[in-house]
Amino acid sequence: MKKQVVAYLLLVVALLALSACTTVQPTGQSADAPAEGGLLAEIQAAGKLVVGTSADYAPYESIDADGNFVGFDMDLIRAVGEKLGVEVEIQDMPFDSLIASVQEGKIDAVIAAMQATAERDQQVDFTIPYRMTKDAFVGAGDSTLVIEKPEDAAGISIGAQTGTVQEGWIQTALVDTGLTAADQVFSYERADQAALDVANGRIQLLLMDAEPSIALADETGLKILLITELTAEGGKSIAIPDGASDLKAELDRIIQELLDDGTVQQIQEANGLP
Amino acid sequence: MQDFLELLRNVVPSLLQGAVITLQIAGVSLLLGGAIGLPLGIGRVYGPPWLQRVLGAYITLFQGTPLLIQLFLVYYGLPDLGLTLGRLTAAYITLGLNSGAYQAEYLRGALQSVSEGQMTAARAIGMSKAQAIRSIILPQALRLVLPAWSNEAIAMLKNTAVVFAIAILDMMGQAKALASDYFAPIPIYMIVAVFYIVLVGVAYLLLRQVERRVQIPGLTSEAE
Repeated sequence: MKKQVVAYLLLVVALLALSACTTVQPTGQSADAPAEGGLLAEIQAAGKLVVGTSADYAPYESIDADGNFVGFDMDLIRAVGEKLGVEVEIQDMPFDSLIASVQEGKIDAVIAAMQATAERDQQVDFTIPYRMTKDAFVGAGDSTLVIEKPEDAAGISIGAQTGTVQEGWIQTALVDTGLTAADQVFSYERADQAALDVANGRIQLLLMDAEPSIALADETGLKILLITELTAEGGKSIAIPDGASDLKAELDRIIQELLDDGTVQQIQEANGLP
Repeated sequence: MQDFLELLRNVVPSLLQGAVITLQIAGVSLLLGGAIGLPLGIGRVYGPPWLQRVLGAYITLFQGTPLLIQLFLVYYGLPDLGLTLGRLTAAYITLGLNSGAYQAEYLRGALQSVSEGQMTAARAIGMSKAQAIRSIILPQALRLVLPAWSNEAIAMLKNTAVVFAIAILDMMGQAKALASDYFAPIPIYMIVAVFYIVLVGVAYLLLRQVERRVQIPGLTSEAE
């Protein structure tokens, strides 16, 4: 008996030691790319902006039956080219080689529904977001809940997918503030499982990414109560070479203009995006 | 090491909350499984042939399909038939029904290892079949089944980990949530593995004590 206890304790200690070893060391290395002044001048001299995309992500970017690049990003980058006064040449490549291509100077920019994550930001520069991520509050088909702003979800049982931004928002904005009790929040392996529980009444709300929510609500007979960007963080940006500050300044200005004059909104609607 | 201790400080409280849920689910499901397994096991050995076949089908169904599918059918499938169970209730029922099938099989083995001569002898001195089972066969069989039953208890502690799939924050559910909060899945899964092994270790030692307490000299499966 005693031997067994000792053996168990040893095993526990060994496992703990092993898990200590696996703690990931944060790597704080950033790639030091040389400053690339004058890219904007080069593009204007060539009269051509070369843009990489991964045309497999409708409705953002895809190739239609005639071989044309279509979608929200494609329309947007052409509008940007127009403002820049240059032609836009689009090159299709795998998503995971886009960053490398812009670093190597094969393309001038990337537009591919890409989010400016901290990791990518170490490799390349990003413009201001041209489209904020949006979230949807989804309720049962016969739900009588009125959600006009995210905080209206206070005190209502709600689900989200484990580890998502939406789950994080529920935690910080509803639970940590005391608006919703911790036992009213449920964390699901998959969003479609949470949707099932909304349908059968176990939870009243589901907070998820707005784009897939439309198809999901359609298929499962649920109702989208609110689409908002207030719960989301970050958005989609154009990637450009690290240090291309003149190009970034110009693109930021143009994107802001297109956002302000409603062009982005119009392109969004034309491509069926919420 | 500093990072690890910091991480440990942050995750242990949540994992302890999860451990309470895990123990609760394992305990209730084992008892429910016992309540199902006892009559099932007896029916499998001493029941009429038709009953043996029906019980055999039940056992095959629960032993022959993945636990996760059983849980999904009970939790997400039954609402279609108009029966919407709560999360914990669905977990108790699924794990209990599943464990009942295994416990019945263990008990069948133990009942069959008590020699048939004892039943014949009991009937010869005027006991009914039920009396013989209750007073002669079962007291031995229940002692003989303990080692196998200990395995079931230990397996149950780990089987409960499927309930994260229906959004219950048991130890596994907590670990998954923490893993995405701290972006450190490997250390957190290692820590939760330690939690499981401690629970299993304690359960094992307790069950060994019980085995010793109720032991009768001379009664072992090998002796039969």
